[in-house]
Amino acid sequence: MSETEIELVGRCLGGDNSAFAGIVEAYQDRIYSFALRLLRDPVAAEDAAQEAFVKAFRALSSYNTAQPFSPWLFRIAHNACMDALRAGSRNVSMDDENFPDLPDRGPGVAESVSDSIDSERIEALLASLPPLYSEALQLQYREDMGPAEIARVMGVPEGTVKARLFRGREMIKAKLRAADATV
Amino acid sequence: MKADNTDKLIAKAIAGLPYRRPSAGFRARVMSEIAAQVPAEAGFGWIVKASELIMAAWGGALVLLSAGFLYRVFSENAELLAQPGGLGQALKLTAARGALLSGKLAAAVSLGSDLGATVLNMMPPVYEIAAAALICAGIIKAVSGGRMAAQRI
Repeated sequence: MSETEIELVGRCLGGDNSAFAGIVEAYQDRIYSFALRLLRDPVAAEDAAQEAFVKAFRALSSYNTAQPFSPWLFRIAHNACMDALRAGSRNVSMDDENFPDLPDRGPGVAESVSDSIDSERIEALLASLPPLYSEALQLQYREDMGPAEIARVMGVPEGTVKARLFRGREMIKAKLRAADATV
Repeated sequence: MKADNTDKLIAKAIAGLPYRRPSAGFRARVMSEIAAQVPAEAGFGWIVKASELIMAAWGGALVLLSAGFLYRVFSENAELLAQPGGLGQALKLTAARGALLSGKLAAAVSLGSDLGATVLNMMPPVYEIAAAALICAGIIKAVSGGRMAAQRI
């Protein structure tokens, strides 16, 4: 967290509510994108992001300033998104890992992937994964969080996060292979 | 392509994903939602504070009364304690006074509860529920020391 953000949180805790606008400004794109990639609906994502910021403001007094701010905020956003997914009657297993079956690893994962995967394709691949996997991958690679921080955000043990990351990557590879095979 | 290489490609592709912007006025909407909630919470905070003050006043009064009572018992028995065998007599006297006091207290509590029941019977139940909720909120706040619980947020 940058010095400015620490100051903003400090001002909020000191009763200056307007300072929270700076926090919203700094994080709105990240939180909204995170919610959008999980919920896949701009309106629902905006509602979840708004709810996350409002809840964060109300819970600011419980935030430990010795800890990084971003995982704390993403934890709140994660909860808001899970609530939205449940409200939309989309089944999100929080207790047990219902790992989907993966095909056996074939040779040459993606020769045709060449040296890069364009953002449209990776966006579509992430969207095709169950939310728990795409969320873990997003947090690790887009938000640059380690397994311990992701575990705090998702409220699961670190081992579960590592398993989700592995399975998420394997699912993407399987989809890349399948797409290559049809070409 | 090696699996490690694909992992790197996936990582690079996700890391390079653009951030999306919420619709115009998002920040303003968040801030107005916050502004709408703050007065309501402040109002509730004052109610909780008021009930805390009432409880603190009652606690203080109880401590003062107890201190005064103990001082009176001690000063009244001081002469008796100085005499040989006075300790036993003082204890008996204190026990007798205690029994008398507990009887009076029981009668006072009974009278208070009768009066309370009469008053509550005349009031709609919503006041009783509101008063109970306020007292509970005050007790929870006092016990938790004003800290926020590590609740799911």
